[in-house]
Amino acid sequence: MVAAATDRAADRALGLGEWAVSTNPTEVLSCLGLGSCVAVAVHDPAVPVAGMAHMVLPDSTAGRASAVSPAKFVDLAVPLLLDAMEEAGADRSRIQVDLVGGASMLGAPGRPDTMQIGERNAAAARTAIASRDLALRGEHLGGTQGRTVRLEVGTGRLAVTTAGSTGGQKE
Amino acid sequence: MSDTEFGPWADLIQLGTRKAMQGLSEMIGADIEVNNLSLRCVPVTEVSNAFGGRDEEAVGIYLSVSGSADGHLMLMYEPAIALAFVDLLMGQPLRTTDSLDGMGRSALGEMGNVIGAFFLGAIADATGLALSPSPPSVMTDMAGALLDVVSADILLTQDETYLAEATFRVQGQDVNGVFMVMPTQELFETIVSSTKVA
Repeated sequence: MVAAATDRAADRALGLGEWAVSTNPTEVLSCLGLGSCVAVAVHDPAVPVAGMAHMVLPDSTAGRASAVSPAKFVDLAVPLLLDAMEEAGADRSRIQVDLVGGASMLGAPGRPDTMQIGERNAAAARTAIASRDLALRGEHLGGTQGRTVRLEVGTGRLAVTTAGSTGGQKE
Repeated sequence: MSDTEFGPWADLIQLGTRKAMQGLSEMIGADIEVNNLSLRCVPVTEVSNAFGGRDEEAVGIYLSVSGSADGHLMLMYEPAIALAFVDLLMGQPLRTTDSLDGMGRSALGEMGNVIGAFFLGAIADATGLALSPSPPSVMTDMAGALLDVVSADILLTQDETYLAEATFRVQGQDVNGVFMVMPTQELFETIVSSTKVA
């Protein structure tokens, strides 16, 4: 399901490597201007609990973990987020997941993205979700365009917009 | 970053930026002054704040740096400023260009080539290092999405980066753009070390 987030709700934007779980039904979790980064958005439709992480890189073994940006690696962010969801009252068997981002910003014709970081982030996120038998509600991954994603905590509604879209154009 | 590291780094960035603007002045046949040059050490997660917000639409001209060490150069402008640059580069009256087509992208890419070559050439001459720019990529998208190109590489090994931002004055008008120099830790240390032995 893709629908516009309400304008009245409080927007809580997550920066690079940040994550949050919320039980406030009026709150909207968001990741703005995702390029190669991937946002994992999770919610439990039975209770008003939702979470989101703004992930930058696929694998912590290839880099340096950080206390400042605990969710920057996909392999660390997903378990962190799921544990916090359960602590906040969500049931893992009911959790639904959306994945957004993973674009190749340098991937226009004739401009190979040698790091392929967007593709690698998307693949790592899919693997992290599949290996935990979580329900994947939707994917907005790949391509060469940036995205903004908003998740309403109270309803679980998700809105994904791209640059230049007006009034909440959806993918 | 210590004072003994920051001094030589700041000197080199200022030298490179002024040389880059000199190259751009020659390219468009108009004087360009460096209006404001700020050098800071900032969390990578806050770099997009330099451009007003991650979902603000922007035009980015990106070049990677390779050779003695790796790094990133990014020029970012509001779309209206980028279109003004296209007019300057094409020798047209301002506001002639109202959208960024293939020709406009090519012109901005050439601007990136000149700035990258002059900037890195000045640093290479001063340090003896071999530093080469990649071909430019011209992108229009959300500022945060453009900056992911750089941020992902930097965040792999560090949480902070040394951010150089410059704004310019062209034909008597301020150009509110950002010229960002974001070295990897490796490039920063290589450059600072080279200034100690020079």
